[in-house]
Amino acid sequence: MSSPYEGEMAIDTEYDIVMARKAVRTAAVALGFGVTDVTRIVTAASELTRNIYLYAGSGIMRWHPVSGNFAGLELVFEDQGPGIADMTRAMQPGFSSGNGLGMGLPGSKRLMDEMDIVSEIGKGTSVRIRKWLRR
Amino acid sequence: MANGTISVIKVRGILLVTVPPDPDDIAVCELQEQVLQAMARHSAKGLILDISMVETIDSFFARTVSETAKMVTLMGGLTVLAGMRASVAITTTQLGLSLDKTLTALDVDRAMDMLVSALDGTERTP
Ligand SMILES: Nc1ncnc2c1ncn2[C@@H]1O[C@H](COP(=O)(O)OP(=O)(O)OP(=O)(O)O)[C@@H](O)[C@H]1O
Ligand SMILES: [Mg+2]
Repeated sequence: MSSPYEGEMAIDTEYDIVMARKAVRTAAVALGFGVTDVTRIVTAASELTRNIYLYAGSGIMRWHPVSGNFAGLELVFEDQGPGIADMTRAMQPGFSSGNGLGMGLPGSKRLMDEMDIVSEIGKGTSVRIRKWLRR
Repeated sequence: MANGTISVIKVRGILLVTVPPDPDDIAVCELQEQVLQAMARHSAKGLILDISMVETIDSFFARTVSETAKMVTLMGGLTVLAGMRASVAITTTQLGLSLDKTLTALDVDRAMDMLVSALDGTERTP
């Protein structure tokens, strides 16, 4: 994958969270996002890749530019883990099935412009986030 | 950090620890342990965590930092987070992380001033 704008990365180890942050930072900077938006996107990617690592064990992150009314960056986090049983609860700030702060999912939603989650128990979870470039 | 890349400097009973730009989770945990051990070893009363190089603070990092500050309090010390970048402050707040119970300073200089006067106040001999 030579383009910094798009790619795919396996999330298998704790260290892959750092690698994911680096790849997403490179893509967001290359697309022209400002420093605060870059930080928002990288932080959301850190939360969502950590969720994959913690709750599903492994999965993948994909990222690519998108276009609509604006140009933007889309990231998809997919795993074949246990799935999320109660989505409403999972999206509530402060809910954690482990010893987390319960901020990863609701916080990522606030940091991004769009977020959709599809999850099926026993099948896995897919989280898609988008941020638009505004000039 | 297994390779010992975190820098710990002691000045006037205060430990100055520089957090690397993009530590992984293991490095963050090790940093906590090293900091607490160094506090005990140097009988330090104050801790400055210099996060001016840190580009991203996620929930794990924030949780470990506020935990560390709590542990330092239990050990009779005071922690100041110094040099948080504006982009990081915006993101951390929007993410909903509560680092607000931790003392903060614009830079290491001001953190040092804060700690020196706070510790002076508690330790002055009559
Ligand atoms: N990929 C996933 N697969 C299965 N369950 C998940 C996944 N992501 C999140 N969850 C569930 O949703 C809950 C909320 O996730 P969220 O990231 O908001 O908080 P947390 O991971 O518990 O804590 P924090 O992210 O603040 O450290 C988790 O505790 C977990 O039960
Ligand atoms: Mg999480």
